[in-house]
Amino acid sequence: MFKSIKYVLQENFHNLFRIYSISKYELLADMRDSKLGLFWNFAHPLIQVLTYWFAFGIVFQKKAVASYGVTIPYIFWMMGGMVVWFFISPCITNGCNAVFSKVNVITKMKFPVSILPATVVMKELFNHFCLMAILVIVFLFGGIYPSLHWFGLIYYVLCAIIFSISLSLTTSVLNMLARDTRKLVLACMRLLLYLTPILWDINQLTHMPKFVGWIMKANPIYYVVQGYRDCFFYHKGILFYSHSMIAFWIITLILFVFGSCMMYKFKHKFIDLI
Amino acid sequence: MEKEYAIEFKHVSKIYNLKSKDKKNSNDKRFYALKDINFKIPKGEVVGILGTNGSGKSTLSVILAGISEIDEGQMIVNGEQALIAINTGLNQQLTGLENIELKGALLGLSKKRIQEITKGVIEFAEIGDFLYQPVKKYSSGMKSRLGFSINLCLDPDILIVDEALSVGDKGFAQKCINKMKELKRTGKTIVFISHSLPQVRDFCDTAMWIEGGMLKEYGDIKDVCDHYAEYVDYYNSLDNAGKKKERDEKFNKRIIPHVKRRGIFDKIFG
Repeated sequence: MFKSIKYVLQENFHNLFRIYSISKYELLADMRDSKLGLFWNFAHPLIQVLTYWFAFGIVFQKKAVASYGVTIPYIFWMMGGMVVWFFISPCITNGCNAVFSKVNVITKMKFPVSILPATVVMKELFNHFCLMAILVIVFLFGGIYPSLHWFGLIYYVLCAIIFSISLSLTTSVLNMLARDTRKLVLACMRLLLYLTPILWDINQLTHMPKFVGWIMKANPIYYVVQGYRDCFFYHKGILFYSHSMIAFWIITLILFVFGSCMMYKFKHKFIDLI
Repeated sequence: MEKEYAIEFKHVSKIYNLKSKDKKNSNDKRFYALKDINFKIPKGEVVGILGTNGSGKSTLSVILAGISEIDEGQMIVNGEQALIAINTGLNQQLTGLENIELKGALLGLSKKRIQEITKGVIEFAEIGDFLYQPVKKYSSGMKSRLGFSINLCLDPDILIVDEALSVGDKGFAQKCINKMKELKRTGKTIVFISHSLPQVRDFCDTAMWIEGGMLKEYGDIKDVCDHYAEYVDYYNSLDNAGKKKERDEKFNKRIIPHVKRRGIFDKIFG
């Protein structure tokens, strides 16, 4: 077990330049594909935000969200959580396909397969930074100003990266064993979006038994969403959510260990699994 | 003094599972892609590998390159080996220059090394004004030259060339062979897999003939090539029924009948 963890970590850290180059040129190729290029990296999430805002903010007339004594207009509150979803969701779906989409490379040259999940996440990270830039501008117009607490975002971005890589390690190998994995993941994505308290406030769950709330709070994605919102609006600090934090790191560690073991086990067998 | 060997195969076998996705005729068999292969390739030798289609040449190449694992036997490789994959890793949307950087990175070269090789690659590939054009606009010969020249810059000890020269025109093939002859002089071991007998005769020192997953002959270039040519002529002279019989005979030797199917959970935890 430790051997496989060491193997995956070593491979990733020795190939940082490879990871960087692959994600850079994949991004470039994506942009070349369309006439407007970089524009879509911004426009796509913006249009989605507008969709959800129209549905929930205007049609259902969601009220401003008040928690920890701070009231935030629904649109800003939602966007604060949605940025995380726009980062993690493509990481999960593309991460699942990370190894399979590079089949022509791994069958033709000696290639460190375990870096592929990291390349996918790095690529999405660029989009995430684009979106964050927009978000900051929108917040400035909405009267939410940067403060020292925003530095906490660095920690939460790291959390999101590590979680996405760990999950992708597992799913990408499983996807090589059986292509059903990707279909399952794609089918579950919408479910996951609504299960995670991103579009609705977790305090609305008062009519449910208590354990439902606990399960919700153990959701690793919600931990990051919660963290982002805390940095933007509530300023409670990283240690305030200690239970969620413990749950998050345990789940991430399990995923990482399992994913590494699988990677190590199948590192030379991928070519026979196609 | 004992000769130094670059590659040594001891009773190497590679087995594929023949899975039938069709439920109606599901009889799972296992199949020897390579069966009990023994050979030693001395350092600095250029070996041509001959064989008809489906006899296991490509399997041998991925095994030699260290991409695929063997199921039985032992393989000893002294030195860094690399498979020349011409069109892999080239992105159609990117320009020639970007592709050099991308493929270089894919192959694991450092940033400094990529900068060093760029000029040589551009020269060899004869890209000229197309350097800043996306690769999708390239002719297929241009693409191959680009891919080939990036690959050569890896500078491995053992080169494995699998049907690489069958794409471009004669001029391209000759250029590549000349380049490889240069490498040969620097003492590199080259494994050259090709259908083209003249190329093999021209370029290799020794040859290996693989037929039906088994090593048929390994020795001096002239003898093996002659025998192989004879066999191909003999095979082509057969009528259809005879050809089928010959194929079936070979196939049946490689099959291992009836094995228990392994489920996905056995694969993960087994």
